[in-house]
Amino acid sequence: MSIMKLSIGPQHPISAHFRFLLDVDGDVVLKLEPDVGYTHRGIEKLAEKRTYLQNLPVIERVNSYCDSAGTMLGYLEVIEELMGLEVPERAKYLRVIAAELNRIASHLYAASLFSVATGLETMLMWPINDRELILDLLERLTGQRITYTYQTIGGVRFDMPDGFKEEALKRLDYLEKRTEDYYKMLLWNHTFHMRTKKVGILRPSDAIKLGVVGPNLRASGVKVDVRKDEPYEVYDRFDFSIPTGKNGDSYDRLEVRFKEVGQSINILRQALKDIPKGPIKKWVPPIVPKGEAYTRVEAARGEFGYHLIGDGSMKPYRLKISPPSFRNLIALPHLCQNIPLADVPIIYISLDLIPMDVDR
Amino acid sequence: MIGLEFLILGLDFPQFIELVLKVLIFPGLAFPLLFAIIVIWFERKFLARIMLRIGPLHIGPFNRTGLLQPIADFIKLIQKEIIVPDNAHKLIYNLAPIMAALVASLSVAFIPYAPKPGGGYWMIFYTPFSLLVILAIFTARPFIIIAAGWASNSKYCTIGALRAALQLLSYEVPLALSLASIVIMSGTFDLAKIVEAQSSIWFIILQPIGFIVVLIGMMTEIARRPFDIPFAEQEVVFGWPTEYTGTQFALIMVSEYFDLCAVTSLITVFFLGGWSGPAIPLLNDISPILSGIFWFLLKMAILTVIIIMGRGIFPRVRIDQLLDAGWTIGIPLAILQISITLLTAQWWLPLVRGG
Repeated sequence: MSIMKLSIGPQHPISAHFRFLLDVDGDVVLKLEPDVGYTHRGIEKLAEKRTYLQNLPVIERVNSYCDSAGTMLGYLEVIEELMGLEVPERAKYLRVIAAELNRIASHLYAASLFSVATGLETMLMWPINDRELILDLLERLTGQRITYTYQTIGGVRFDMPDGFKEEALKRLDYLEKRTEDYYKMLLWNHTFHMRTKKVGILRPSDAIKLGVVGPNLRASGVKVDVRKDEPYEVYDRFDFSIPTGKNGDSYDRLEVRFKEVGQSINILRQALKDIPKGPIKKWVPPIVPKGEAYTRVEAARGEFGYHLIGDGSMKPYRLKISPPSFRNLIALPHLCQNIPLADVPIIYISLDLIPMDVDR
Repeated sequence: MIGLEFLILGLDFPQFIELVLKVLIFPGLAFPLLFAIIVIWFERKFLARIMLRIGPLHIGPFNRTGLLQPIADFIKLIQKEIIVPDNAHKLIYNLAPIMAALVASLSVAFIPYAPKPGGGYWMIFYTPFSLLVILAIFTARPFIIIAAGWASNSKYCTIGALRAALQLLSYEVPLALSLASIVIMSGTFDLAKIVEAQSSIWFIILQPIGFIVVLIGMMTEIARRPFDIPFAEQEVVFGWPTEYTGTQFALIMVSEYFDLCAVTSLITVFFLGGWSGPAIPLLNDISPILSGIFWFLLKMAILTVIIIMGRGIFPRVRIDQLLDAGWTIGIPLAILQISITLLTAQWWLPLVRGG
């Protein structure tokens, strides 16, 4: 049979701002080649032209519509490491609260996209509706729904508003109960099992070799989480576990995300209970000393690595960002070999890739 | 001229009026169209409720119902330009949507909707072999789909058309086998006689396995979720009608709902006892036909809700899984139903054929 070249994207219902070049033989995909770059904004170069403070809203947009708080945290970590800055306790807790709320929002978004890939539109709407509750909570905390610019160098910009704690706990309780509905509707759905179990199996050895990070790596059974391994901010004070999958298939990748939502709720409850009183921001000079630093944080999609070279001025000499989606993208061609065409969207969505994140 | 035409057909004037009513209003032209409009609206509103959305809202007479939204959509679609792709086969490309709508509405002509008081049935064309005619019409559909997909000369259309053809052709086997047990039980190919055989007990009680196979087979034939693989938008954009625009697209969409109308009518005839039901006093006073039609439409509506609900609660299955299930589960189940029907003949014969 002849091999057909099929191009999916960038204007295709399932591809975001990606293009995939497929070699299809009948209904079997032989090879998938991702074509990225549709959302390249040159953020790394842009960051060299702006001061550290001006960079805040830019860096946030590396991964803006899903996980800007988690993304931002890494940038602040690397600056503060280079400056040797110790942030006030309350600010650390507030940063963690924002990041974990954002992780929940991101995972709910991932779950809704996942169910769309399998064709179940009901579960597109349900998590998206509940994500709104979390975004509303974040809006009360930070003033914005999506891009917060909330955490800043030396602390956070605003304190918790009155009644935030009670409202947050109430909504987290609701979300925990609501997760049961998701399990009934999606994760225990037999048809859903047919579509996702044993689809796109990523073995642990392959995952480590390819450099896959985040929930995708944990779904393959590798217990790696920067929050536990190299605790930053105040993550060492919380009691939480790292959920891992067994088979490393698409189903496990979704289930790990659902379990992580539960762990995030766990962390948030402890953080809201333990949060100390005190200042939320420390005054810092706008100049970062000369030197080099590398930090990594666990954002919703995985590990964000930031490599900063400062030259003693107000602007970074070089800021290299290693985003999780870019590192997970490499698993896609690896998984899409000799599979049915209908599995391509599921594997692609199960990796939870964000084009903006890949391109920077 | 109208005055003379009924003479050509060999009918007297009341018969001619009846024919016009049947062809133009029920169950002819207006009924499938009205069914399509109502079901499109209902589907959107119903699924919106399942998905915690609001659905169509503004257009229409009653507040916050969006009752006329399908009509507004239709008017929008017929205003749009008809675009034919450059390398398309023009004739087949333009003919396919018309053929699709035609074939989809054709089967309605052979379905009896109610008995007439003086004998005979309220249907457009009576033939004692209507079941065979319906099956023949069903076999025509894959070829229209293949023609449309091939004529579009687009990769997604071709893949979608081939998927549709595979699915339709392979599910005709369990469907035909299940209908065979209906024929065994009722002893006739005549849909009207099949309904009359159910006057004491419906076939859904005597043949539950057959009902499930036929329901799933019919849902596969008309490509409803979870079997809407030919239209899987995540994989093949919109399947074989991807390239169609404007009126042609509207025709294809409407033909989908004509199919739904035909399919629900057929399942009602085969398993739910067609028009049988207690006479409604008010309708019965006007005409006993109306009472029969009422029960028929009610059963159709229940089936429609069941079929539509699949879109709210099921993910889509994969084409190989569907074909596997058709060959390894559907056909054995249908054969099992035939065996059961044959083995238990002494018990159901008095119930169905009056001893």
